[in-house]
This record gives sequence, C-alpha cells and structure tokens, in this order.
Amino acid sequence: MSCNRAENVIYLSFNANSVTGVVQTVAQTFISLMVSPMKLIAPIAVSLLALLAGSATAAEKIVVAGRDGVYADALKLVISLYNEAHPDAPVEQLSLPIDGLLQQATLAAREGVNAYDVIMLDDTWAPQFMSNGWLADLDALGGGLDEDFAKGMRDVSRWPVGTGTAYAVPFIGNVELFAYRSDLMDRPETWDDVLAAAERLNTDGMSGLVFRGKVANPIVSGFVPLLWAYGGDIIDAEGKPVLDSEAAVTALETFIKLADYAPTGVEAYDAAEVRTALQDGTTAMAIELWPSWAPDLDDASKSQVAGKIELIPTPGQVNPPAAMLGSWLLGIPANAPHPEDARAFIDFMTSPEVQKELALQTGTPPTRESVYTDADVVAKYRWYPGQFEALQNARPRPRITQWAEVETILGDFLQLALIGDMDATTALKEANARIADALK
Amino acid sequence: MQLSSRSLFLLAAPALILFGVLALYPLGRNLLLSFFETDYGLEGAVFIGLDNYTRLLGDYFFNRALVNTVVFTVVSTLAEVGLGLMLALLVNRAIVGKRLVMPVLVLPYVLSTMVVTAIWRAWFNYENGFLNVSLKFLGLPGVEWLTDRNLAMWSLIGVDVWQTVPVAFLVLLAGLQSIPEETNEAARIDGAGPLRMLLTITLPLLWPHLLLATLLRCVESFKIFDKAFALTGGGPGNATSTLSMFVHQLGFRFFDIGRASAASIIMVVIAGALASVYAWQIMRSGDET
Amino acid sequence: MRRSGGFIAGVLVYIGAVIALLPVLWLLRTAFEGTGGPLVKMPTLWPTTPTLANFSAVFTPEVMGKLVNSIIVTIGATLLALAAGFPAAYALARGGWPRQLDKLFLGAVLLLKLTPPIALAIPLYQVLRLFGLLDTLLGLIIVYQVYALPFAIWMLLGFVRDIPISYEEAAVLDGAKLGKRLSTVVLPIMAPGVAATAIFLVILSWNEFLYALLFIQSPSNFTLPTYIATLITEDQTYWGPLAAIGLVASLPVLALVGVVQKSMTRGFAGGLK
Repeated sequence: MSCNRAENVIYLSFNANSVTGVVQTVAQTFISLMVSPMKLIAPIAVSLLALLAGSATAAEKIVVAGRDGVYADALKLVISLYNEAHPDAPVEQLSLPIDGLLQQATLAAREGVNAYDVIMLDDTWAPQFMSNGWLADLDALGGGLDEDFAKGMRDVSRWPVGTGTAYAVPFIGNVELFAYRSDLMDRPETWDDVLAAAERLNTDGMSGLVFRGKVANPIVSGFVPLLWAYGGDIIDAEGKPVLDSEAAVTALETFIKLADYAPTGVEAYDAAEVRTALQDGTTAMAIELWPSWAPDLDDASKSQVAGKIELIPTPGQVNPPAAMLGSWLLGIPANAPHPEDARAFIDFMTSPEVQKELALQTGTPPTRESVYTDADVVAKYRWYPGQFEALQNARPRPRITQWAEVETILGDFLQLALIGDMDATTALKEANARIADALK
Repeated sequence: MQLSSRSLFLLAAPALILFGVLALYPLGRNLLLSFFETDYGLEGAVFIGLDNYTRLLGDYFFNRALVNTVVFTVVSTLAEVGLGLMLALLVNRAIVGKRLVMPVLVLPYVLSTMVVTAIWRAWFNYENGFLNVSLKFLGLPGVEWLTDRNLAMWSLIGVDVWQTVPVAFLVLLAGLQSIPEETNEAARIDGAGPLRMLLTITLPLLWPHLLLATLLRCVESFKIFDKAFALTGGGPGNATSTLSMFVHQLGFRFFDIGRASAASIIMVVIAGALASVYAWQIMRSGDET
Repeated sequence: MRRSGGFIAGVLVYIGAVIALLPVLWLLRTAFEGTGGPLVKMPTLWPTTPTLANFSAVFTPEVMGKLVNSIIVTIGATLLALAAGFPAAYALARGGWPRQLDKLFLGAVLLLKLTPPIALAIPLYQVLRLFGLLDTLLGLIIVYQVYALPFAIWMLLGFVRDIPISYEEAAVLDGAKLGKRLSTVVLPIMAPGVAATAIFLVILSWNEFLYALLFIQSPSNFTLPTYIATLITEDQTYWGPLAAIGLVASLPVLALVGVVQKSMTRGFAGGLK
C-alpha cells in the first residue's frame, strides 16, 4: 500500500501539463517502473535471458579481437576470404585502439571472461601474456610454427624466447626501417654517414632528417636502434639495466646532435608529422620508418617523392646494421570458447596464399620468407627483399613483462635530454636507476 | 514545512541505492589496494603500508604532474567561469538571433573530446596547421603551440576553455533565468543603472550558480586526461603531464594497481580539498534560504 | 542607451560564436574533403576536392548500429540520473535531515565525482560481472550513474534552492500534497535548470569512451565513441571519416539543445497565482 502511495507521489510530480512536458512523461513511466520493482525486473530478466541465449546459440561463431586502422582492414579482408572458403564458420571482428585492445585482453584474462577466440598481440605484450599462462599452447593444438616464418618472429612467438612452447603465430612482420632520399645521397652504412649527410642536406626548406620525438613509444622507437648500433643496450643478458654505459651515452649524444638537423617542433613529432615531412619532400632522411608507411611514399597522388626513397635496415656503427622488431602476433586465449576453430582460422590467416593477398591488397607486411620473395609481391613493393633481410635479423625489444614501464621511463628521460633539460650522462644514469627499480 | 521521514527516504532511495552499489565497493577497493603492491587485485598482493604514497610524493615526475594539474585546473576554471558569465549576461539580454546563437555557442561542448583534440592537434601543427598557416598568410611567424615548453600548457588550457565554456555558460544562463523578473523591475524602478544592477542584484543572486559552475569545472579540470594525452602526450618534457595521465599509466600500462590506487587517492584528496571550499560554500548558502 | 548597449552585447556574442564556430567549420570542410587532407597551405575553409565519400563511409550498418546503441545508452542514463537525482536533490534541499547527514551525503556524492574514471574501472568491471551486466547496454546505463548521478544531484540541488520556500508554503496552504507541489510549483520554476542538467547528462553519456570501451565485448554492442577512437591510430588519422562521423554524432545532441533551449531562455513568469 505504501508502494502505491509512493508511486502516486512521484507519478503526480511529472504530469504532462508541466512545462518540461515530453521529457517528464517519459521520466514518469521510468519512475513508476522503478518504484514497483517487479515491473522492472521482468523485462530486464527477459532481455538478459535473450542476450545470454543469443550468445549461446551463436555457438559456432568465433570472435577475433584485433587492432584498428590498417590492421582492421587487413583483418576484414582475411575474414571475407575465410568466409568464402568456409561459409559455415562465421567470424566476428572486433576493432579496438591499441591501448583498448591491451586493456580488454588483460581484463578478460584476469577476470576469466572468455569473450574472444583469437587476439592480436604486440610482441611487447607477449612476455606478460605468455609467462602468465594466458595463451593456449599452440604446439599442443597441433601445428607448431612453420620454418617459413622469419626466424626473429618465430623466436618471440615462443616462451621462453626461441626455445619454449609456441604460444603465438607471427601475423604482421612490422620491422623498423631507415629511409633516405636516394636522389640526394648515397646509402649510409654508419651513423657517421648519417650525420654527415644530415649536415650537408640541412638547408632552408629541407631538414637533414626527421624522427618521432614525442614521449614514450615514439621517441624510444627512434632511439633504440641507434643505441644498439653503438653497441649499447637497455638490459644485459642477466636482466640488469645497462643504460649508463659509455656506448649508450655516445648514442644519446649522437641522437641529440641529429636533432639539430631536424625540423622545429620535432620533440612533439609523431607518425603523422614524420610521414608528412617525407611525402612532402621536406626532409632527406627518416631514421625510423614502419612498413605500413611505405606504400604511400611511392603513391604519386600523395607523395612528391615517389620512387626517390630507399628503405634499409638501421645503419650500424659499432654493430652491423640491425632493425628493431615491432611485430604483431596472433594468440588464442587459454580460456577461448572455440580453440580448434580458432587454430584453423589462424592457420588460414598466416598461410602463404593469404599473406600474399594481404600484402598485395592492403600492404600488410608478411611474415613468411616465401611471400617476401614472391615475384608479384616484389613487383609491387620494390623494397620487400630489403625489408625481409631486415626482418630476418631483426632484434626484438627486451623480453620483459615490465616493458611498458621501462619504455615510459626511458622515454621521459630521452625527452628531457632532447630538449636540453638534462645532459645525456645524467639522463641515462637516472633512467637506469629507475628502470632498475621497476625491474625488481 | 517539513517532509515526513517516509517521503524523505523514498525521495532519496533510488540515489542511495545506486550510490551504494556503484560507489562503495570501487572506492573501498581503491583505498584498500593503495596499501599493497599488486598487479591486479588482492591475490598475490603484498602489504607495504604507506610505501606507495611516499614513493609517489617523492617522485619528481609525479610532483611535476601535480603542479601542472593544479595550474591547469585553477587557470582554466577561472577562464571558463569568467567567459561563461560574460556570455550568459550578454545572451540573457534580448539580442538579435538569440535562438540561433545558443546552439552555436554550445557546439564546442557537443563534439566528442576525441574529435576536438584531433582538430586542435591539426590546427596546432607547426608546419601545416590552420593557425600557423593563417599567421604566415598575414606575414607573421609561426608559433610553436605545442612544442614550446612554456606555451604548451597555455595551448592546452586554450583548447579546454574553447570546449567547456558552454558548461559555465549554460549553468549561469539558467541561473540568470531563475532570477524573478520582478526583482529586476523593482531595482530598475529604484533607478539603478545596469552596472549597479549587475553588482548589487544580479551577481549576489547568481552567487550559488557561480559557485556551482566553479565546482563543476574545477572537479572536471582536475581529472584532465584525454586532451593532454592526445595533444602532447604529456610533453614537451612533462610540461603538460597530468595526474590522471599518471594514474592511467600506472594502472593500465604498467598494471601497478597498488600505486595507481594510491595515486588516485592522492588525487581525490587534493581535488577534495579544492572542491570542498566551493562545496562548503554551496552547502552553507543552502542553510540561509 | 539601452539599444546601443544591446548592440555591443550582440557584437560580442557574435565574436564568441565565431570563435566557437571556426574549428567546426574547418571540420565541416574536412568532412567534405577528398584527397586534399586536413592540413592546408592556405587558410581556407573550402574543400579543395569536394566529395561525399566520407559520409558514405560512415553511413554503414555497423556504424549506424553503434549510433543506435549510443542513443539508447544516453537516453537511458540521462533519464535514470534525472529520475534518481531530482528527488534526491529535492530531499536534500528541503529535507530537514538529522545532524548534517545531508552534508555527508552530498560530500560522499562529490567524492565519487572526484575519482578519476580509470581508478574505478576494474572494480566496476567486477561489479558488472557479478550482476551479469557485462557486455550489455543496461550495464553501461547503470555504470554511467557513477558520474551522471553526482552531477545531476549537485546541479539540481542548486536549482531547487532557487525556489523561495514561500512559494511552496503557499501551495501547501492551498492544500497541495507533495506530488502536486513538485509538479506545479517546483518543476516549472526549475525548468531551465533541469534543461541545462539534461543537456550535460546527455553530452556526458554520449561522448563517454573509457567505460564503453572496457565494459562491452561484442562488436554489436559497442557505442559510437569506440568507433571514433578507431579512426585515430598511432600511424595516421582517418580525417575524412572522422570529420564526417564527428559532425553526424553531434547532430542529435544539438537537436536536443535546440529543443530544450526554449525552456532555458523563456522568461520567468512573475507570480504563480
């Protein structure tokens, strides 16, 4: 009885004659539903049941959680090809921004929510996912890893690296390259060459080089290959941070010197700015270039420098030239609803034929040697043989679960050194100390 | 005129229930975990007492973020409420085309923050951004909007002001509208000129709304994340790093949940201190009705 | 003097409107821009290669589905916040609560609003999971109350207080019960405030990104902001579709502002008898 009275009270307060007419009428319905809970619970229960039932009857559908942008396009193409070949096995695609994908995958793994059958993983996430047992054993699911895949990528698909169980399959062979204007300069073998060319070509209207200076991932991606070229490293074989080495300091000092030949504002540069500089022809070199940026360079409708850019592995100095690996893997969550279907899908996705299609239609870098050397593919992307050479010998970033934190710390101090707030030695010493802390 | 406690309870019940379910557990968990070292929850968590807090408060980067956030909050709140007040006062008078102008003034706030930051990131671009291109067109040199260490924060504040002035504007406009016309009439009959009316009638009556607008903006500005993250990522060199970015980084990049919880508790405490000044004023003015 | 003062006021407001509008006009241009791209060499607001391709890219079933989801969540969250917040605000303002309990409640509500969304994400995920509301629009509607409800209560509280208690007392003398008082005295005067609150609640939910991203797993349940986020990748920004969907996404809310502004800018009718 008191329930009715309350209902009346609130009902009357929202009668349709009041000034805020329509809104209140709807609100009134809502309120009356709230006050008598049964009226509310029934429809909710029904729709919840329908939702659950709905997801239960979609039993054969597998869900692939992947990235957005060009990767989403690639995934979409694969799914349409797969549906042609297997019309009775529907695949649903989820496109998420990179941070969102990591967060979703981690939450699902931590909370035991089995929402996905296949997930795309950045190779830097692999240590955490693999060491926590969040991915299904792919050796056990049958198939293992084909030798056709580039060795560098095969290694990171296993845990422990190189020798352990296969937990992932290489999907996108992203490797960091170095770009220069072949019409303006010769191929630089060492960073001394790079400096000399930068100085020579840095004039009004053209900058010697360009790179991504923004904090965190951009600046670290630009610096690490340089660090390796000078013989430095982030952590040594025992897992101890060694950024305070002489080699590292020299590398950073070189990096800072290079910035003199870069455009104003390079400390905030990200991919968009670097790509624009290259395509507009206002820079002679880009010390960091990712394969997905490459096709546009030769596209005359977008680029002023079609045919004039060459892509090579990062120049060496103390060490021979070596490129940094930045690839994407495919894994099956340990609690996936349909592991066998997922495995079949992954095998399809990474088969030579599909990789070739992906490369030709969307410019997605393959991971198989056979595709990189295929005549049709090379005809379209003239730099592929060089890119495969880079991929084969690519060095991955440190295989630690705390890479995100290490990258952020390093990125912060690199920025400080770049803008002149700190000298190279202090910056690296500080970074080293904090990284040691983080790795404890 | 008192409400019976039954009516009181019924009126407040829905809010209380929602609040209880949605807030007690999350806030409690946050507080609890801030005293532990964990990478997700209570399993495997190691109790470390106040360690998270001391490490955060002694961290150079955290303190930088703290200073940036406070500066950002104070300046942008003042700017937004000030400009919002101006606009509300102006629009409140009978001006031509008022119906058309209101949606336009509210437009920046309607756009999603992602779109807003994308627009401004393009506009602030040194080489090809709309702003610098326009300046060059007029023969003026380009400005390093986002890369000059002293200017970056102001650019960020500018974007926030551009997007959120409508908040103060709408709140104050609604407040102005609720001043009874007879009060204004009475003052005019008494011979008060517009300025005198503004100072002695309008503003005092608008005071609770000014406080409200300030409180709302203060709280929101303090949590600034999306804009700073998308425009500068916290650079150049921490000039625009904010506390929310810190919490986000700790919680969802490093998965250092213990320290992220501690950082968010610190945020709540500081924001609470800032907000409680206004909140107390608002609550007090209620007693005087 | 009145007329010239009004004129200056008008000019100032229009300057403000232009400042507000200019980037949006640029966005409009970008939405119709073909291959020219967003960055220009000249300060122009006209597309160099006009095209409708960007709009056809966003008017697809998937995107429109997300638009619908956003509408459902936004309306639901706004109504729920108003429905729960208005009575609570009224109770707080008029209630005569024992021993400062009302201040405590208000303070607790504010506390919730102060916490950064990220900090609450994991616990809320767990709460939703517990009630089986993960991956549902209803779950989002409820979770949005974490920010919508405090906001609604604080806003509406200020506007309830605007109403001189004498008006209500007069109504009581006329024999009006609580419900009648609320509908004939309180709400009409509060209309501008309720309208303003509604606008904010709608915008809050419509553009909310983080929780929509984390608490939904099925592609068909995602809301619009998640789609918009996928247009801004670290490699490049898809300007055409971004501008197109950015504009399209603002239309519903703008329409709402247009509808609601009538109750916001009407004059206060003096006297209620």
